[in-house]
Amino acid sequence: MAVTTDRAALNEWIACGWPEKVVPGGKYRTVLLGQEIEVRRTGVSSFEVFECDGHGELSRSLPVQAKYCCIFTTLGEPIRPLPKIPEFDEADRRITGCGSVGVHTSPFRIIENFLDMAHFSFVHTDILGAPERTEVLAYKTEHRKDVDEIWAIDCQFYQPAASKASKGGQMTHYAYRVMSPFSVMLYKNVFDDPTRNDAICLFVQPIDETECLAYMPLAIVDRESALTSIIDFQQTIFAQDRVILENQRPALLPLDPTIELPTRADASSIAFRRWLKAKNFQFGVYEKKAA
Amino acid sequence: MAERPDRWIGVALDRQIKPGSSNPAIVGGNAIAVWRAEKGPANVWEDRCPHRGMRLSFGFVRDGMLRCIYHGWGYELGGHCASIPAHPDLAPPKTICANVYRSEERYGIIWTNLSESPNAPLPDAGPDQGWQSIRSVYVARQVAAVKGGLASFDWGGGRVEEIGEGAALVNAGGLSLLIAIQPVDESKTGLHVVAKGEGAKDAKARLAWASRLERLRGSIEAQS
Repeated sequence: MAVTTDRAALNEWIACGWPEKVVPGGKYRTVLLGQEIEVRRTGVSSFEVFECDGHGELSRSLPVQAKYCCIFTTLGEPIRPLPKIPEFDEADRRITGCGSVGVHTSPFRIIENFLDMAHFSFVHTDILGAPERTEVLAYKTEHRKDVDEIWAIDCQFYQPAASKASKGGQMTHYAYRVMSPFSVMLYKNVFDDPTRNDAICLFVQPIDETECLAYMPLAIVDRESALTSIIDFQQTIFAQDRVILENQRPALLPLDPTIELPTRADASSIAFRRWLKAKNFQFGVYEKKAA
Repeated sequence: MAERPDRWIGVALDRQIKPGSSNPAIVGGNAIAVWRAEKGPANVWEDRCPHRGMRLSFGFVRDGMLRCIYHGWGYELGGHCASIPAHPDLAPPKTICANVYRSEERYGIIWTNLSESPNAPLPDAGPDQGWQSIRSVYVARQVAAVKGGLASFDWGGGRVEEIGEGAALVNAGGLSLLIAIQPVDESKTGLHVVAKGEGAKDAKARLAWASRLERLRGSIEAQS
C-alpha cells in the first residue's frame, strides 16, 4: 500500500479515531491515505499523532485536533480549518460518536450515499422511507464559495420513522452540508419540534482508495431515548447502507457523468462530483482507461 | 478489462434460476446478473445498474421488470429503464439502459455470449428435448486444468469429446452427459451438467452421477 501523492487529499483534516478508542497514556496505530500513523492519548483530552516510517518507527509529528467525538489529523498543509458545527456545543443535546464502521469502497461513495434521499424507500424501508412514497421533490444545491462547502437545501422526504424519537410518520425536512471531500453532515427536523434540527455527521477515514472507516457523530435533541438505542438506530441504518456501498461497481467514484447516469434526485451527487472534479481529485476517483 | 470473446458459455442450469429472481455469476471475470421474470426465459445482463453502479443481481423482480435494490429503478426485458421511483411522473430517457447480453436456454442449461457482436453458434449436442439436470460443480482450477481433468477422469468406461470450446459430451453406455464449461476467473471453473438417455430419468441414477461429479472435482483439485 503506497501513500497517495494527491495533494488535494493530503491537504485535508481527516478523522483517524475517536477519543474513547484509547485510554489516557495509551496508543494505537491506523492508516490514513496509505500512510501508517500512531495516535497517542497523552491526557484526558490531549493527543499526539506521528507518521510511521517503512520500518514501523515513528518519524514526523502531525497536527492533531479532537473535536466532534473524533480525533483529526492531516498529512499535508490544510487548506481549511475544521468546520464549525455549533450544535455540538448546545447543552441539551445528546452527543455521541457511535464508534466506527469499516467499509470497503471509495470514501466518496460513502459521502454520496449519505447525501442521497432516493434510496430511503428501498434500503431503509419502513424506517427512513415508505415503499409507496418514493418521490424526491425538487431541492436546491449550492456551492458556498466563502467556505468551499456544497449544500443541498429545501430537501424533504416522507419518513415512517425518522429517528428513535419518532412516534409516527412525518415529512422530514433536510439540509445537507459537504464540509470537505471526507466529511459531510445533515440537519433534519426533530420529531414534533419544527424549530430544532438534529445534527448528524459522517466523517470518513480513507485507509486507502477503496477501504475506509466511517465515524458518525450525532448531536441530537431527544430527552427520552437511551443513548444505546440512539446509537443502535444509527448503526442499523448504516449496516443497511453498507450492503449497498460494498456492491457498487466500480468501487472508485466515476466523475464522468456518462459512466453513471443521474436523474433530478441526484442533484447533490452531481454537485459533489463536479466539485471533486474541479479540485482535480485523483485519490478515490475512477479514471476510464483509454481504449 | 476482462475479455468477452464471441463464444457461448453455460452459466447455470435452468432450474437454478427461479421465476422472479436475480442471481449473480461471473464469466471470464465479468460480473453478470442472471434473472427471470415471473415467467419466461432467463436473461443475462451486466451486473451493474447504469445509475449508480449497484449490482443488479441484488435486484428484485416486479411486474416483469428487474428493479435495482438501491433506488428501485425498473428495467424491462431488453434493458430499457421504464421506472424511476424518485420521479413517478417522469418518463425515463431512452438512453438509460442496462447492458444486456445474448442468452439462450438449451439442453436445460442457460448459455450466454458476452461478445458485442455475437455470431458463434451454440454448442451442438443434438435435439433439445429430454435432458435432465444433474448438478453444477465449481472447481478451484482454471479451465485448461479442468479440461485435462475431464479427459483423464474415470467415467465408468465412457469417453469424452469436446464440442466447441465451451462444452464436453460424455458417452457412457446408453447415457450422454453434457457438460457446459464456465470460466469464472483465473482460479475457478464452473461445470453445469445435464444428462439424457438410459437411466437419466431415474432419480437415484442422477444422484449417483452427481456424486461422481463431486469426485471429479476432488480429483482435479488434488492435482497441483
